[in-house]
Amino acid sequence: MPGVSIRGLRKRYGDVAAVDGLDLEVKPGELVALLGPSGCGKTTTLRVVAGFLAPDSGEVWVGDRCLSSPATVIPPERRRMGMIFQSYALWPHMTVAQNVGYGLRFSKDGRRGVPRSERDGKVTEMLRVVQLAGYEQRYPGELSGGQQQRVAVARALVVEPEILLLDEPLSNLDASLREEMRFEIRRLHETFGITTLYVTHDQSEAMVISDRVAVLDQGRVAQIGTAEELFERPRTRFVAEFIGKTNLIEGTAERSDIFVRGPLRLRVFDANLTPGPVVLSIRPHQIALGPASLAPPSSAGENVLRATVLRASYLGDAVDYQVQLDGGDLVLRVAGPVTRRFRPGDAVALTVLQCSAVRL
Amino acid sequence: MARELTVTLRPLPSRLEGLDRSAPVWIIAAAALLLLMLLPLGWLGYLSVSGEGGLTLAHYARVFTDARLQKALWNTVVLAFWSALLSLAIGAPMAWLTARTDLPGKRVIRGLVMASFVTPPFLGAFAWVMLAGPNAGYLNKLYRGLSGAEAPLLNIFTMPGLIFVVALYTFPYVYIMIVNTLELIASDLEEAASILGASRLWVALTVTLPMVAPAILSGFILSVLQALALFGSPAILALPAGFHTITTQIWALFQYPPKVEMAAAFSVPLLLATALLLFLQKKLLGRRGYAAVGGKGGQRRQIALGPWRQPALVACLAVMACAIFLPYGILAKAAFSRAWAQPLTWDNVTLGNWSFTFLSISTQTAIVNTLELGILTACVGAGLATLLAYITNRRLIVGHQLLAFLALAPVVIPGVVLAVGLFIAYTRPPFLLYGTLWILFLAYLTKEMPVGYSQSDATFRGIHPELEEAGRILGAGRLRVLGEITAPLARSGIIATWCFIFIGVIRELSASILLFTPNTKVMSVVIFDLKEEGQFGAIAVLGLFMLAVTFLAVVLMQTLLGRDVLGARPSGGSG
Amino acid sequence: MRKLLVLSVLAAFFGAAPACAQDARVEAAKKEGKVVWYTSLALTSSEKVAKLFETAYPGIKVEVQRTGSQRILQRVMQELQANIKNVDVIHTSDAGHYVLLKEKKLLMKHTPAGVDRFPPSFKDKDGYHYGLRATVNVIAYNTKAVSAAEAPRTWKDLLDPKWKGKLVTAHPGYSGVIATHVLALVHLHGWDYFKQLAQSKPMLVQSAVDPSGVVASGERPVAVNGGEYTFYQIKKKGNPVEIVFPKEGVPLVISPTAIAIFAPHPNAAKLFTDFIFSREVQQVLADTEGLYTGHPEVKYPADRPKLSELKLLLVDPEELEKRNEEIKTRFVEFFGA
Repeated sequence: MPGVSIRGLRKRYGDVAAVDGLDLEVKPGELVALLGPSGCGKTTTLRVVAGFLAPDSGEVWVGDRCLSSPATVIPPERRRMGMIFQSYALWPHMTVAQNVGYGLRFSKDGRRGVPRSERDGKVTEMLRVVQLAGYEQRYPGELSGGQQQRVAVARALVVEPEILLLDEPLSNLDASLREEMRFEIRRLHETFGITTLYVTHDQSEAMVISDRVAVLDQGRVAQIGTAEELFERPRTRFVAEFIGKTNLIEGTAERSDIFVRGPLRLRVFDANLTPGPVVLSIRPHQIALGPASLAPPSSAGENVLRATVLRASYLGDAVDYQVQLDGGDLVLRVAGPVTRRFRPGDAVALTVLQCSAVRL
Repeated sequence: MARELTVTLRPLPSRLEGLDRSAPVWIIAAAALLLLMLLPLGWLGYLSVSGEGGLTLAHYARVFTDARLQKALWNTVVLAFWSALLSLAIGAPMAWLTARTDLPGKRVIRGLVMASFVTPPFLGAFAWVMLAGPNAGYLNKLYRGLSGAEAPLLNIFTMPGLIFVVALYTFPYVYIMIVNTLELIASDLEEAASILGASRLWVALTVTLPMVAPAILSGFILSVLQALALFGSPAILALPAGFHTITTQIWALFQYPPKVEMAAAFSVPLLLATALLLFLQKKLLGRRGYAAVGGKGGQRRQIALGPWRQPALVACLAVMACAIFLPYGILAKAAFSRAWAQPLTWDNVTLGNWSFTFLSISTQTAIVNTLELGILTACVGAGLATLLAYITNRRLIVGHQLLAFLALAPVVIPGVVLAVGLFIAYTRPPFLLYGTLWILFLAYLTKEMPVGYSQSDATFRGIHPELEEAGRILGAGRLRVLGEITAPLARSGIIATWCFIFIGVIRELSASILLFTPNTKVMSVVIFDLKEEGQFGAIAVLGLFMLAVTFLAVVLMQTLLGRDVLGARPSGGSG
Repeated sequence: MRKLLVLSVLAAFFGAAPACAQDARVEAAKKEGKVVWYTSLALTSSEKVAKLFETAYPGIKVEVQRTGSQRILQRVMQELQANIKNVDVIHTSDAGHYVLLKEKKLLMKHTPAGVDRFPPSFKDKDGYHYGLRATVNVIAYNTKAVSAAEAPRTWKDLLDPKWKGKLVTAHPGYSGVIATHVLALVHLHGWDYFKQLAQSKPMLVQSAVDPSGVVASGERPVAVNGGEYTFYQIKKKGNPVEIVFPKEGVPLVISPTAIAIFAPHPNAAKLFTDFIFSREVQQVLADTEGLYTGHPEVKYPADRPKLSELKLLLVDPEELEKRNEEIKTRFVEFFGA
């Protein structure tokens, strides 16, 4: 099972650079999500990897083969990949069995063509795996969205591709089905272990499904890492804002671990800041809330701040607070437990448990 | 890192390995298109400025100073403008009634409009001669009988008469444009107005009308274009009244001795005028060619006409009576009468017209020629159009936008002008095609390419590229994907293209009239010849035959596509 | 009746002609298989003649291409320019054409048998073309719409403003019969005649055959010109049409026929030409088609005036050829199209 290596990829459409110097290493058997807002270049990258687009510069390697370069692009039919499209792309004039079995006929470039006698067996088996046993003779038009999606998955997997590409496959499904299918896809990945690239704009989906997530911003990888790394330690402002909710405060780094903004002084753990302007990111749940009267005295290492509650919204499993810091106009969002609730106007003490800072 | 050390570096793949084997096919298609159009137009332009001693503008000078030619120009402008206006006045309300209100019998009305769309205008003109000739016309006779008056009620051999007949067969263009637009607009905006207390008419005028304004203007321009290029109707109605239009004048310039340079010089302004109009139309509507009205067509509630239901229906039927019932009726009568102007009594009924027409060798040859050319042009045209539409839709070669433009460009060239260009290009070496069916084939192919391309383009827009990409990623090459995936899905669309082209060919007159020779006559030309001999019975027979073949093709298309020529599902109503 | 006619024609042929020479020529013609005939004679008449020939000579088809005289010339010249050799026998009603064609050396010399007895006006002295038929231009009117008393009696009568909107004229740009008519009247009354006539806004038709249909249907009650034979035919069919031979005289139109020098079926062409000049066929032309011919033995129906009884207006073919352009241009100038 080879890995995918994208090196210095660039692709322009007219004046717009859709992909602008993208580097990505996908380890063999890994599932990497390409996550980002629309226009960030994730679909373009996927299509270059699939061979539908030629790069302006840069290369795509799969294992030890260079499949795409500005000079040459190996056509899609010879790349030994599988792809699941956003629209599923099931052929309406063929039955489910014919759809799924389509790719089994071809043998070239190391792909084994499957003899006719075995094809039906493989199709049946794969349909069973995606829980569509017995649907062989139906037509795509007769199936629900979820069923169509599973046929698409079966079709891509049955040819045993080296690389699997998924282009927002769940975006056409309704919310509950989407949740269910996320786990399905993860399960299939763990069963077959194919190196996979998964494009999505939905961050919870990316975090559930993938081994690592690559956040794309304006045609390049802003940060790649596990869900935890991205969430806890975002390395750019964009990533901090894109993944989860956060409070962003602009200020200055005084020493390698001290953040200053006006009267506000905070210690940033595990930081290696060079003096200069930085942006501080504090997640709402990284702040502990307590009554002002019980707060420990303010000291340099404790990150304790005083504030007043502006608004409190009861969400059922948590309370969402907006608090205003004393001595300034900074408003922070804090997530608090339902067990200890505060009301607007209450004086509170905030303890910043963790935060991360990125250069501006 | 470990992986890099163990990798065996292969040289970058050579050019050939990645080369798509299907590339040459695309290039050839592109080249063919270039040759078909540029050669005739090139010769046309060249001849219009060539004189005894080299290049000259003398021909153009004559065109603009000769009183007769000026009159022809003026007549054409008058005809085009007024017939387009009339088309608008008929087509727009009918479109609104059909698409937006609870008019009864909508399916029937749509079907009739479609029939009007495929009726050759020159047949309509013939029929109206028999209906409204000032003395022998059926309607006038009726009027005189009922009222006892001397003077006729209608005289079809006048400019208003010509305008009327032309409008009857160009209003479907306006109708189609507006109906399609209205079907894209959700009725929320109109409902909002109604809730506020506006009457139906007020809503129509102040809310609906502005939204379809671009489509209306576009339909107007299309009608002008159609009227400009017509030859048959003016030849039948204007010449007996003693006035020319540009098209008939160009045709007259071909009489012996032919003044081809003058014809060329006359053709070029016509060509420029149509090009300008089309440019205007495109600007109005943007790239797509229909009004870009935002909205997915949502819910469309029908406006209740109330007491106006029946009158509206009657009005629509009255229009269709003029376009279909009366003309077809009189053609049928003439086909079976010895003397068309006499009442249909037992001794007037005869099958003689039928035997005369179908037993005549020249008619038989013409029918065979027409069908042969129709089938050949439709097959080649559909194939070429499909290929081109595929190339441009999937952006397979650099400069595909230019290709799309070229495929649609012939719509700019009026049939007569195209014929002049082809005549000049192909009555001299290296391609001496005059006198063969091939010159007619070229004319038809060029003329019908835009229609064929548009339909093919629509077909491929309806086939998501991902359907083909899915095949390719699974291991099928581009050509295999074309054959196993694209072709079956495009099949009905391709057949529709075929039918469109076929219908266009069998009724073509304005180019055929200049390019035919006695051996290469087609049905429309025979009909025209028979007119010059006053053989109305035979004309009626051939005309009915032509209509029958046309309707057969239309029915075929309708069954295959599941929708009618005008783009609506037969089940009608909201999408 | 018709059958009898055909049989008598056949009998005459196979009885009269010298066997050997005839057979050789017929064989050669049969090998060619067909003769292409561009003719301006009315379609029904042309087809009748063609059928007669085909019955007499089975195996040789006659391809009838009927259109107006001016169009025929246009076709011939256009085809020639494009190097197309299609036509065998050229027959129009514009004598001027043959001056032109002969000048351009496009005609084959051929003298049909028995034609030496025709009047001189039916013969080309060099033997290139001969008059197949003749007719005169007349006035005609619809008897239901116009009484005999009101009917015009002279060409000049047509200028009366009471006929405004009630006239129909054919076109010299299409028809040789009409071109002859126009020239003849220009000689008689000058171009002013047509200038005035145009003010009555006559309906414009193309072929000299057409006015008869227009008058018969009542679309326009009076025709200001047209081939007399067409009015005769339509009257015979029972239509309410009456013919007037104007007092000033009637323009005589002799319609020549010739063989093209490049005829692809020369033997068939010669055979056909001989056939149509035979007494039998010329008699058919006179009997049922209402035409005059040059054949001295032809008997005309009693209800027709003899050519010798009519005041004929003659037109010189050379002048017709020379002024052809002028005739067409000025006509269009006055009548608009």
